[in-house]
Amino acid sequence: MAHRVDHEYDYLFKIVLIGDSGVGKSNILSRFTRNEFCLESKSTIGVEFATRTLQVEGKTVKAQIWDTAGQERYRAITSAYYRGAVGALLVYDITKRQTFDNVQRWLRELREHADSNIVVMMAGNKSDLNHLRAVSEVDGHGLAEKEGLSFLETSALEATNIEKAFQTILTEIYHIMCKKALAAQEAAATTKLPGQGTTINVADASGNTKKGCCST
Amino acid sequence: MLKGKKLKLPDRLGSLVAGFEDKDEDSGGSGSVSELGEELEILQPTGFRSDRESETDDDHDHNEVQEEEPMVKRKMKVDAELEHNGRQLRHEKDGLSHISVIKTIEVDEKRSDIEYEISQKEINLEKLQRIASTGIPEGGNLRATVWKLILGYLPPSRDLWEKELSENRKKYAKLKEELLLTPSELARMKEEAFQSHKHNNAHNDTAGPLIRHEISHEDHPLSLGKASVWHQYFEHTEIAEQIDRDLQRTHPEMKFFSGESSFGRKHRESMRNVLLLFSKLNPAIRYVQGMNEVLAPLYYVFSTDTDEKNASNAEADSFSCFVLLLSDSVDHFCQQLDNSSVGILSTLSRLSDLLKANDEELWRHLEFTSKVKPQYYGFRWITLLLTQEFNLQSILRIWDSLISSPFGIQEMLLRVCCAMLLCVKSRLLSGDFAANLKLLQHYPEINIEHLLQVAQDLTPDTS
Repeated sequence: MAHRVDHEYDYLFKIVLIGDSGVGKSNILSRFTRNEFCLESKSTIGVEFATRTLQVEGKTVKAQIWDTAGQERYRAITSAYYRGAVGALLVYDITKRQTFDNVQRWLRELREHADSNIVVMMAGNKSDLNHLRAVSEVDGHGLAEKEGLSFLETSALEATNIEKAFQTILTEIYHIMCKKALAAQEAAATTKLPGQGTTINVADASGNTKKGCCST
Repeated sequence: MLKGKKLKLPDRLGSLVAGFEDKDEDSGGSGSVSELGEELEILQPTGFRSDRESETDDDHDHNEVQEEEPMVKRKMKVDAELEHNGRQLRHEKDGLSHISVIKTIEVDEKRSDIEYEISQKEINLEKLQRIASTGIPEGGNLRATVWKLILGYLPPSRDLWEKELSENRKKYAKLKEELLLTPSELARMKEEAFQSHKHNNAHNDTAGPLIRHEISHEDHPLSLGKASVWHQYFEHTEIAEQIDRDLQRTHPEMKFFSGESSFGRKHRESMRNVLLLFSKLNPAIRYVQGMNEVLAPLYYVFSTDTDEKNASNAEADSFSCFVLLLSDSVDHFCQQLDNSSVGILSTLSRLSDLLKANDEELWRHLEFTSKVKPQYYGFRWITLLLTQEFNLQSILRIWDSLISSPFGIQEMLLRVCCAMLLCVKSRLLSGDFAANLKLLQHYPEINIEHLLQVAQDLTPDTS
C-alpha cells in the first residue's frame, strides 16, 4: 500500500507489528508514535492503529502502523490486517525464550498472509532487562541472518533503537520502492504514473519475483 | 428471555445453574428479609426521599454500614440509611445546587424502588429490569443482587436464595478440586483414597516397602500422547501463563486488580481460577484474551458486595454469572465460528445494518468514504462488551442497561455501539480513515446517560 499522495506526505507505508503476547509490541508502538511508555498497558484485542509522519531521505513518509494481538484467536481476523503491508516488525522478548522460539511461527504466518516481498525486521525487545536475559544477542543475529532479516535489540522502556528500527524498515521500503517505480516506468511507457490509490509492488532486495502485484 | 438464555448453556456448565425446586432457607436470613420488605414499604412514599443531596452519599452509606457491623444485614443497612438521612437533612442547609438535589432524589427513589422489588417474596423480574435498566445506584449490594437476579443466577423466589447459593458454591468448589489440581496432586489424592480404602479393608503391612505409584504409560509426564493427563496439564500451563499476563493488565489503573498488595494478588488469583476453569470446561473455546476484561466487572461488583458472605464467595458467583452472561455471545470468541451466523462477523454486519437504518449518511461515510470497517473497532467493542472502551464506573453503568435491557444483552450492546458512532458523528464525518480509526479505537469521554438514551431510542433494524 505505497500510495503516493499530495500535500501532507509523499508516501504512505503500512507496517504491521507482530510477535507473541506480552513481548511489548504496544509499547513499541506508543514509544514510536507518541514517545510514551506505559508499564501498565492493557492487552491488545484485535488490532490497534497509529500513525507517524517522518522524513526518509528527504521525503515525507507517513508510517501507518498496525499493532496486532498476540493470541492465535485474533489472527484469523488479523489476516486482513496484513493486506497491503509493506513492512513488518517481528518482536520477541529477550527474557522469554519461548517468544524467540516462536519467531519461526510468525515468519510462517507472514509467508501465508502477507505479500512475499514484505520487508521484515526482527526486534529483541526489553534489552533493558539484561539481567533476566534468556536469549543472547548472538542467537538473535544468527537467526536473523539465517532468515534474511534485519535485526536490532530494542527497549521501548528506555527508548533504545525504537526509532532506528522503524527508520531502517522505512528506508529499506523506500529504496525498494524507488527501484521498483523506476523499473516500472522504464518498462511500460504506456502505463500511467502511479496516482493516489495505485499500489506499487515492493520488490524483494534478494530478487524474489515470484509473486506479482500486491494490489488490493 | 432468561429461560432462553439458560437453554443455550453447555450441559456441564448448565449444571451450575441451579433449579428452583427447593424451598427452605436456614439461618436468620429470612427473618430480617421480610422485615426489610415491610420497612421498605413504609419508606416507599415520597416524604422520605427529598432528604438526600449528593451522589457521594453512596460512599457514606457504604462506610457507615461497614462500621456498624461487619456481618451486615440488609435491615441494618436500611437503618443506617435512615439515620444517615437525618444527618444529611441538616447538612442540606449548607446549600447544594438544586439540580444535584433533584438528581439525588432520583437516585434515592430508584434505590428504594429497587430495594422494594428485591425484598418481595416473589420478585417481579420484569419490573426489576425496567428500573435497573436506568442505572443501579452505587453502594451496598444492590447492583450485585440485581445482576445475579436478572442473569438468572438467583431465582426470583427469595426463599430459595440461600439454598441455591450454597449449592452452587459447593459445586464450584468441587469443580475446582477436580479440574485445577495438577496430575501429581490428583494422583496423590487418588493414592491416599486408595490407601485409606486398603487400610479400612485391614491386612496391609505398613512396614512393607513403599508402594510404587501405578502410572499408565499414557499418563507418564514424558509421554507425547495428546490424551496424556500431563500433555493436557502442560497445555493448560500455557493458558494459565496467558491468563496471568492479561490479569496483570486488567484495569491497570486500579489497585483492586493490578496492585501488588495481598488484596490485588488475591483478586487476581480468584479471577485466574475462574478463567482457567472456564477454559477447561469449554475446550472448544478455551481462554481467549479479553475474557479477563469481561470477568472483571462481575468479579468487582460481587467482591465489593457489603454482605461479607457474598463478598467472600465472589469467585464462585462470578464464575456462574460469567457463564450466564456469555451464554448468548461466547461464540464471538470462537475462531471456527467467525463466518457462521453466530460468529463475530455476522454480529458486526448487524451493527452495520443498524447504523444504516438509523443514519445512512454516517453509515455511507464510514463504509465507503473513509473505509473504516467495523472489524477494526467493533470487534473489540462487541466481543469484550465495551470493557476496554470506558472506565470501570462507566462500564458498570452501561452493563446495568445491557443486563437488564428488555431487548436482551446482545441487542442492547449493538444499540450502544451504534449510539457510540452517532454520538461522534460530526467528528467522523470530517475525519479520514486514520483519524476515524484513532477516534473509534480510543473513544473519547462522553456523557454515559446521554449515550444510553440515544441507544434506547434507536430505530431497530428491520431489514
